[in-house]
Amino acid sequence: MGELRELVAYGPLGRLTPEWAWGDSTGRGVHVAIVDSGIEHDHPALESSVRGGVIVDYDGRTKAKVRISTDDTPRDLFGHGTACAGIIHSIAPQAELYSVRVLGKDATGRALQFAGGLRWAIENGMQVINLSLSTSREEYYALFHELADDAYFKNVVLVSAVNNIPVPSYPSLYAAVVSVAAHAGHDPFMYYYNPAPPVEFGAPGIDVRVAWVNKQYSVNTGNSFAAPHIAGIVARIRAKHPELTPFQIKTVLVACAANTRRAE
Amino acid sequence: MTDPHDGNLAEQLRRLLLAVEASGRAVLPGSNLELLQSIVEAAARIFGAAAASIALVDEQAQELEFKVSYGAGSDEVVGMRIPLDTGIAGYVAMTGQPIAISDVQQDARFNRAFAGSTGYVPRSILATPLVYRERVLGVMEVLDKISASSFGLQDMELLGMFARQAAIAIDQSQQVASLTQLLVQGLRRLAVSDTGAVPDELLAVLEHSGDAASPDDVRTRDLLALADRFNAISELGEAERLACLQILAVFGDYARARRDLPV
Repeated sequence: MGELRELVAYGPLGRLTPEWAWGDSTGRGVHVAIVDSGIEHDHPALESSVRGGVIVDYDGRTKAKVRISTDDTPRDLFGHGTACAGIIHSIAPQAELYSVRVLGKDATGRALQFAGGLRWAIENGMQVINLSLSTSREEYYALFHELADDAYFKNVVLVSAVNNIPVPSYPSLYAAVVSVAAHAGHDPFMYYYNPAPPVEFGAPGIDVRVAWVNKQYSVNTGNSFAAPHIAGIVARIRAKHPELTPFQIKTVLVACAANTRRAE
Repeated sequence: MTDPHDGNLAEQLRRLLLAVEASGRAVLPGSNLELLQSIVEAAARIFGAAAASIALVDEQAQELEFKVSYGAGSDEVVGMRIPLDTGIAGYVAMTGQPIAISDVQQDARFNRAFAGSTGYVPRSILATPLVYRERVLGVMEVLDKISASSFGLQDMELLGMFARQAAIAIDQSQQVASLTQLLVQGLRRLAVSDTGAVPDELLAVLEHSGDAASPDDVRTRDLLALADRFNAISELGEAERLACLQILAVFGDYARARRDLPV
């Protein structure tokens, strides 16, 4: 993310503290969707926090181009979604996690599955959506933009990882989402605000020990693992301050970033 | 292009097809695989990695095929195919996102059956997509950094640069291959529609369009120029490529119609 300037929070914003924002919160009752490769629902690291989910398949014959089926005891194809779920659970242990599995082998269908999964999450009561995936395909720019706006207006916070390779990554580039890249720290509550967007936040994402498939663990690096740190913090904020809207939550996040100094 | 009443059509077609292949060689000095091989070797050396490989996406079979490899286990890896929805390489191919993982043996995220069959199970993996014009063409992996227990973000960035080079090389060779295929298909169709029956010698040429010879006459030079121009136009994007094909098709119709006019 380059050099980070120190920011100053003035006036009433200077009185926002992490303690006020998420101290004592466990994310209780907040619905968090993980749009990814699935979640291994019975992984011990998740301690029964997975409440359900859906599988989104590509179906070129239907109007919506996707088919959504319920997945009450989700599985994970790779481990990536389980890793993200594990990070969120470690930060917000009473948040309720939902798996939205969107990966498919068909290249043309993949972005549509991703969009279909995101739409499902927005329309089915999710309050925080973790997107450690993105698409770089220009033809879906408008589709994802519409979904990001829709989420924003429906009071849903989208937390989106920026791709690690320098390609456009949607929806992480839109102003309505909380976009996240990795930094080298390991304190899960230590994150930074980047005053030179579109990448707005930096959270731990290097050599993070995560849950993986087959009830195992691994050590992973990538922006994918930074986003769920912020998603976990957002879940805690939402549980403690249910009245806050997505833009207010972003304001709270900026005020509580590690590089923000409070003006006395 | 060619006047079917003029000389040996089959011989001319044979030369045209050779010329298109020759233009592919002009774009990619040496064979494409050699270039990819040198990219994985350089990557392995620069990262101080025990091994490196490139696998390409086969959309039809929904598989990844390992094309080149360097270092530990490399002889066994080349030619192997794995389903797209398996293992780290599959995840990277499906999401277009790079990932770095360590402690691989402990936790089965690597496709162990596959790793086992290569006789080599890595401890750390860095995998990045080969992306060209929004399309994931394949995956490049480096395994086991010798100086450290895992690959970091800087490694990821650096491998991204190698991957970019590899993706460009792969895309160019795929374009040349599909151009040849297109030409052969087009000629087959033309041969059928023009004469109603395909001469045997013509068919023979169309089916064996891969024998070597060096192109040196005027017609061949024109074809090389055509191939280069087509490649340059396709570089601009899909819309341009389609427009180019449409213009050629319209011209073809026009030329045919003209020839059918009563003298």
